[in-house]
Amino acid sequence: MHKHIVRLLTLVAIIAVVATTAKFSVIQDTFHQYGHYRGASVAQIAAKLPQHQGSASCQSCHKEIYAEWSSGIHRKAHKDNKVVGTVIKGGVNCEVCHNGPAGNHPSKEAMPLSIEDQVTTITHLKHTTHPANVADRNLMRDPEDMRILCTNCHEKTVGRPLRGKDKGGVPQVAVDGHGGKAQCNSCHNPHSPTINFAAIPRAPVDPITGKALPVSAEKSGDAGAGRSVAAMCSACHGDTGVSVNPEWPNLAGQNDSYLANSLKAFKAGERKNDLMSPMAAGLSDADMRNVAAYFSRNSCSVPGGDKAQAELGKAKAAAAGCVACHSSGGLRNPGKDGVSGAQVWPNLAGQNAGYLALSLKSFQDGSRTHAVMTSVAKTLSASDIDNLAAYYATVSCK
Amino acid sequence: MTTQDTKIEKEAGDLSRRDFLGLLGKGAACAGALVGAGSALASASGGAVNALGGVGPAYQQADDQYAEAVKNPPKIPNYNWTQHKWAFGVDADLCIGCLRCVEACKMENSVQMDRNHTRTWVERYVYLEGEHHALVDSIHDIKNVVPGSNETRFKFDDRYKDGQFEGKKVEKAFFVAKLCNQCEKPSCVQVCPTGATYKSVDGPVLIDTKYCIGCQYCVQACPYGARSLNHQRGTAEKCNWCYHRITKGLQPACVEVCPTGTRIFGDRMDPESPVSEFIRNNKVNVLQPAMGNYPNVFYKGIDKEVF
Repeated sequence: MHKHIVRLLTLVAIIAVVATTAKFSVIQDTFHQYGHYRGASVAQIAAKLPQHQGSASCQSCHKEIYAEWSSGIHRKAHKDNKVVGTVIKGGVNCEVCHNGPAGNHPSKEAMPLSIEDQVTTITHLKHTTHPANVADRNLMRDPEDMRILCTNCHEKTVGRPLRGKDKGGVPQVAVDGHGGKAQCNSCHNPHSPTINFAAIPRAPVDPITGKALPVSAEKSGDAGAGRSVAAMCSACHGDTGVSVNPEWPNLAGQNDSYLANSLKAFKAGERKNDLMSPMAAGLSDADMRNVAAYFSRNSCSVPGGDKAQAELGKAKAAAAGCVACHSSGGLRNPGKDGVSGAQVWPNLAGQNAGYLALSLKSFQDGSRTHAVMTSVAKTLSASDIDNLAAYYATVSCK
Repeated sequence: MTTQDTKIEKEAGDLSRRDFLGLLGKGAACAGALVGAGSALASASGGAVNALGGVGPAYQQADDQYAEAVKNPPKIPNYNWTQHKWAFGVDADLCIGCLRCVEACKMENSVQMDRNHTRTWVERYVYLEGEHHALVDSIHDIKNVVPGSNETRFKFDDRYKDGQFEGKKVEKAFFVAKLCNQCEKPSCVQVCPTGATYKSVDGPVLIDTKYCIGCQYCVQACPYGARSLNHQRGTAEKCNWCYHRITKGLQPACVEVCPTGTRIFGDRMDPESPVSEFIRNNKVNVLQPAMGNYPNVFYKGIDKEVF
């Protein structure tokens, strides 16, 4: 046989051996099992662990929030409430806004008990600090600015379907005209965002009937007529509205609408006080408006309080979010602390520390109730309450 | 040597070279045709059945391989792939373009976080007054992303202030969610040189990242632009309907977070599943039916220019 033929055959033989070895060693056993691919890869792809766990998994720790959410519009938004697996179908699930919590969430074991206790009692006004701002954990998109978060779905945008009966659209707001620079969660609880508008009358509104008034008709009570009604209040609240007992509220310089609303609540029995309830029962609607107007025009005075406590109270007021309503600038803008943003909310400046502390405690134990204040008060400790009361008793009320 | 001999020898020499090459060419052509016909036949028998939502071999799966798939299914706990036939619905009438799906998908599947890499995305079609063609906004385009939002946060910018654009009124606008169609006859599978992407028996087209060499033939083959290259991993990237979730009885991440119910997912073998109801109760369409890929994502409420 010629030499070159032998060489060729040897080469062919070597290639055949290499190819056969390669076929058995390199190509996986499962290749061609189900088709022209590695059969084992199917189970490998399926073995990856899911990141999103569904709202039901949040329920085990965040019980109160879950209850709040599941009774609110973000849960009820969908007619189809079928439960598929562990995931609740439809509705704005937890992970729509808290994207990534299941993946980045600290495990239950890794969580100190104290924090776990906290998460079951957390309330929505703390939303700006929890759970988004846990260090190094991307638990929520744009936690620092709720307007960015909420407008993902609720900003008026071309192409977004309008809301209508049997249509899927969501409420759309033109942000500038809706809340300006205020954070969405200063009025809306993100877990259950519907606001009970009946409870928050918008100005101009008649404080007694609760009905909206045309702008031209915005007219508070007659202060002169109120003066005669005020005579029966002076025994406790002083002639001008500065009370004789620090546990009774100062009325001088207080917001007109707030005073009228309070009297109305005492008369209706929504608010109870052994002294005030019988007094308010005897007043007519006009009397209430007039006496409220009278006291609101008197000039307030600063009762003062413990300075050390006031310093601590100032920090707590910022952390607890009091300023969202009880500062003329709201949560984000500079303003006069203790002077409320709306006429229907009380000014805290110029108020007695004793009365302020008593009020917070009554919200805490449920003897007085309010949609926002009840949940806020429950986050405060006894010393917090004393500090806050001291702080607001010392700030300027003018 | 005679002249005759020389001639014969010359002819023989000519013949041997030319004829050899000619024969080689013909042989190759015949073999190619045979192979082509064979695979076309296989795909036709496999795909045609499944295109109607029926049961049978997947695309490019031979009968004996399908028998193996039934007999020895992949070892996935509490799951048998021959008992499911997944499908996806998109109700474009409900989509608000909030892009929660895009972010959820990136979180779930470790997709690169910048706006150029997405497994699922949302487009906005806008018809201006007097125009016959839509303006298509996509989050891949920087001018549609809200100024100031960073590369990993997604939000449509409203460049149609007061319903106007360059002096023209917006006549009609809507959002459409896009994702891999998990076609019955996937072009991407057809072109993959390494067997790294394939049509599974239960529907999704999967990618075996171990075998993917990142050649991007599949990216170019897909008529829907559903594929991209993951530049971190160097392998092809596309939606697989969260195969790791659906095989555990969960919904895909985008369906899970969709706040409006635009995205619908389910098993076509279960007549009560959300997607079966969606297809049954609505007049649905697929994208680019003329491409012959038989997509498995069914759309409601899309316009003629959506493709």
